[in-house]
This record gives sequence, structure tokens and C-alpha cells, in this order.
Amino acid sequence: MGILDRVTIIVGKLVSWVSSTFHLGAGATWPGEIALILRPDVASSFARQFRKGIILIAGTNGKTTTSLMIKTVLEERGDAVVLNDTGANLLNGIVSSCIRRSDWSGQLFADVGIFEVDENSLPIVLRYMIPKRIVLLNLFRDQLDRYGEVDVIVEKWERALTKLSKDTQVILNSDDPGVASLAKSVKGKVIYFGINDRTKFLPAAEHATDSTFCPNCGARLVYDGIFFSHLGIWHCPRCDNTRPKPDVSVWPNPLPGLYNQYNTLAAVATVTSFPIPVSEVAASIAQFKPAFGRQEEIMMDGRKIKLFLSKNPAGFNASLRTVIEKKAKHFLLALNDRIPDGRDVSWIWDVDFETIPKDAIVTVSGDRLYDLALRLKYAGIDLKRLDVESTLLIAVTDALSKVPKGKTLYVLPTYSAMLDIREILTGRKIL
Amino acid sequence: MKKKKVQIAWLYPDLMSTYGDRGNVIVLQKRCEWRGIEARIVPVTLETPTSDLESCDIIFMGGAQDRQQKLAGEDFLKRKGPVVKKMVEADVPALFVCAAYQFVGRYYKPYQGEPIPGAGIWDLVTEHPGDQAKRLIGNTTAEIINPPELAGTIIVGFENHGGYTTLGPKMKPLARVIRGGGNNGRDGYEGATYKNTIGSYFHGPLLPKNPVIADWLISKVVGPLQALDDAMEHHANEVLRAHV
Repeated sequence: MGILDRVTIIVGKLVSWVSSTFHLGAGATWPGEIALILRPDVASSFARQFRKGIILIAGTNGKTTTSLMIKTVLEERGDAVVLNDTGANLLNGIVSSCIRRSDWSGQLFADVGIFEVDENSLPIVLRYMIPKRIVLLNLFRDQLDRYGEVDVIVEKWERALTKLSKDTQVILNSDDPGVASLAKSVKGKVIYFGINDRTKFLPAAEHATDSTFCPNCGARLVYDGIFFSHLGIWHCPRCDNTRPKPDVSVWPNPLPGLYNQYNTLAAVATVTSFPIPVSEVAASIAQFKPAFGRQEEIMMDGRKIKLFLSKNPAGFNASLRTVIEKKAKHFLLALNDRIPDGRDVSWIWDVDFETIPKDAIVTVSGDRLYDLALRLKYAGIDLKRLDVESTLLIAVTDALSKVPKGKTLYVLPTYSAMLDIREILTGRKIL
Repeated sequence: MKKKKVQIAWLYPDLMSTYGDRGNVIVLQKRCEWRGIEARIVPVTLETPTSDLESCDIIFMGGAQDRQQKLAGEDFLKRKGPVVKKMVEADVPALFVCAAYQFVGRYYKPYQGEPIPGAGIWDLVTEHPGDQAKRLIGNTTAEIINPPELAGTIIVGFENHGGYTTLGPKMKPLARVIRGGGNNGRDGYEGATYKNTIGSYFHGPLLPKNPVIADWLISKVVGPLQALDDAMEHHANEVLRAHV
């Protein structure tokens, strides 16, 4: 660390202190943002300090859960880990997490950096650090107004991966054709995770399918079966492109939902590659607790509230499938259209709300509650049975009041709605 | 009533369905069914024979990502496009949104490179004005001016397009922009109409919050329609107008 780096870190720490002392709520990004303006190299200076290296996790859905699982395993082994705050997954969020963790001279004293990275930011982040592992989970359509098209992200990732040396191992989802096909751009070892259990196939394809055409030749891919969205066992009938055999395909899932099976397999593929003995990994993952808002449970007046963050069609369908399998009867759905949610709410028409049981008791809220109510009307939900409440606090209270004691209210919110609901329920936005 | 059963052709549901386009098809189907009219969605994609398309009563085609549009492009220009053109000329109602709206025109001229030919079904052209130009993106409202029987209706949506579209003399603009960019951010028009067909950049998707357009398309097949309880549709429309 040079003198300029040190000055930068002092400024960053002051920003961090001011932000938390005065509850400005920007502590996860602003210290890093300001430090990067003063001295862009500060990111590299931090990155070089991790004794065992850096793990980057990217993908549309599952970044936070996978990162936390990897962290749980490594911390259990005694590693000192730096993790960026969920959602603070641009370069400024990564640097902010390092500033908060370092001493005043910029020393980190950490073994591993585990950073979830925004899809678009992965190439930028890779300019500043050479990770030991990159985990690429999946690519679903998500906020086209912000991220652009899925194919554009695949191309960006390809270019970024090509620049890495063979020292970086890449963990890829074999069941996502676009992600699996990135292997050709990787010089280092590639480790695949995927599901082989054909009993988990969906009975019929869901609507939200992004990548059902061959990334190499453009022919329509043939699927033996689909696990969800466009993830499945696939091959191209025209060229030789076929789903790679996963290296890790079986592991007890500590959380409900097939999408968490993928997150678990990704985390296991990552930590066992270091290598960490399977027995240790098993013990850590078995006791894993979900990230906030991700299947988090809150008890209130003898009723259970389960939060399922649902921010895009694939994620929403996965949440719906999971809660309906649990025989959910009471739903609170909340749709916001703020910057973190995406301004465009058209995507709700790609969600299969038709799967909600007709006898369900549903409350809708959020900034765009009437869009959601209208979607439910066309999904066959009787509007007379639907509670449409614009004030989130009243919506939460109303929805809860309809739940008998001992039963569960399933809450499916978009990102900013999830933060608001958590604040209502726990008094805090983030744990 | 002219027809008891309505077949809705959904062109390239697996390639040209970006952000909620399915909603337009669901709305067409449900608004038939709620009136006791049987409605069937006919997915028309690369492998579908053109005869399946020809037997349909309403056509819908939506937005696409670049790669998917290229995959659909050849099939549409060579096989399905000429059939759609014939049907449009024969007064079959159709709705073209976003990429489809550009694609039925004469050409799309990217910022760099040669113009990409369109299907030439409609008299309009789209040009990308360069990488420094503003992408038209955000919640939008507009007042319908064509078809005349819908004039004055306020429509709402979300636009997200880089191409600027200019209508030729055979086309009539669908609406006058109140908030947003519309066809090109310059002439104040949004969308287009020709015979019984409508095109628009609005998604959101277009039909759920603007059900008069859905009913107009359906009525071209089955004749005058009984009214439905659209309180929720109108409410969602009005709330978004205030939100834009």
C-alpha cells in the first residue's frame, strides 16, 4: 500500500463512519465509490492481500445464497473471509466491504474474498483482480432495461474469461446451455455442476425460456427434460454441442426449492476444488442458514412468515413452485418498480401465476399493485377474493390477520419491496 | 356475430417474446372466453407450416433479442412474412409490438453496416440514429388518434428501443405521445395502424392496461362485443398515468 492508497482508505473509512453514524444507508457502496474516484488502483491493492485468493460469484439468480454457503464452509475451517453486502455487487460494493474490514493503513488480514458480482460488472471487476475461482450460476432474463439482453451478457463474459490465465478455475452450470458453453473461453480447469436426477424434470416446459437455441450453431436445442426455465439436460441435434457431464451433481439440499439445489451444488463444487474434504463441507452446509429475504422465517403472533425474494420470471416461478409444493394457502405478493427492481414490470406476464391454487387467499401490494392485481385477474384469481392494498404496512397486517395461528404466510416480494417488508416485520432493513 | 371460435396466431413465441409479450396473447384469449367465445392460441414458430398460420383469425408478434430475431428473421422473410402480408391485406386483424413492429416495415438500418431488410408488410422504416443518440426508455402515455373509433383513449406502457421509426404515407399513427419518446422522439407520434392492424412500441404489455385495443382487434373477427367489467384495467391504467 502506497501513501496515496492509505490516504484513500482513510477517506473511505471516514465516509463509511459518517454513513453509518448518521444512518445515511449508503455505507455498502459510497466508501468504495469515493475511494475508486480518488484512486482506482485501490481495488487491486486490496485484491492482492487475500492470502488464499478471491472467489467471484456471478449469475442472475442465487448469487447471495451461493456466496453465503461458500463463506459458511470456509469460516468453519477458520479462514478469515471478506464478503460484500448483498446487492452491493458492483466494484464499489466490493471495495466498500474491504474498506470496512481493513485497518486504517489499509491492511486486510484476510484469507479469502468472496464477492458476488453483478452480471454486467464481471468484466470490470476482472480488470482489478485475478480470482482463484469464478462461479457462473445461470443467466435468465432480468431487467432488460438495466442489464440488456442475455446474449449480450454471454458475449461480455466470454471476452472477459478469455483474458484470464490457467490459474483461474471456473465453475459452470452444465444445465444452462449459455453458461456451459463459456467453457471454450476458459484456459484454466473447468468444473461443472448440474442435476442428473430425471425424476426432478418439470412435467411441461415453463414459459420463461431464454436459451433454448444452440449457442454455437443456432439450432433449436433438444431437451431430455427441463428442471426449470431453460435449465435441463440438453443437446444440439445439429452440431456436437452437448450438456457437459457435471462433476458435482448430488448433494443434500439444505433449503427448499430446486433452485437452491443448484446453489448448493455450485457452492460444493467450489469449496471441494480447493480441496476441502467432503466430510467438512457436509457438516458446514447441513447447518446453513438462508440469507435475509431468501426463505427467511419470521415468527409473529404464533404465525410464521416466510420471505421468498422473487425478482424476475425464473426466480418468481421457482418461488411459486416451492411454496405451492408446500401447500401454501396464504400469499402476500408485492411488486415495486424502483431502480433495484427494474422500472419495467412487463415481466410479471411471464410468471405462471396460473399455478396459484384457486382457493388461495392472496393480498397484493407494492408500487405497482394494480399491475399485479390485473395479472392475477387474467390468471384466473377471483378479484372478489383478492385484497389489493397500496400501503405495505396495512397489506402486511391484513394478510397476517387472515392467517390462522400455527399457519404460514408466504411473502413473495421484489427486491425493494422485500427490504420494506423486512423493515416492517423486524424493524431493520438488513440483518 | 360472425364467428364462434377465434384462433390467435402467436408468431415465434419461443424467439420473439421479450418481457411479457405473452400477456397480449393471454388478454386476447381471456377477453374472448369471458364473452363465451372459444379462443385458441396457435403457436407459430420456425417448424410450423404456413397453413397453420393461414387458418388463424388474429395475428400477434412481439419483441425479440438480437440473436433470436436473427434466428426468426430468415423464416419470417421467406416463409411466414409473405403469408402475414396477404392476411393483413385481406383485413385480418394483427398486433405487432416492439421488434415485430420494426420487422414488418421496409428495413431496419443499424448504426453501422448495411440496412437489414424487413418483411415490407407495412410502409415504415426504422433507423438507429447512432451510439450517441438517446435510447427511448421508460413509462409512457399517449392519446389514440387512429383508428378513429378509439380516438381520445389514453394508452399507457413502457418503451425500450434504440431504433427510431418513421411512418410512410400509407400508414396512420396510432397515438400522439403525452409522455415518452414514441416512434422516434421527434414527430410526437407513437405506433401505427394500417387496415385492421396495429403496431406499437409499448409493452407493459400493451393490451392488459389498454383493453380497448384488444377488443378492437377481437371485434374485427366476431363483430360487436358485449361490455366487460374493466374496473381493474381502468384503474391500473389511471394509476400508471399518474405514476409516469
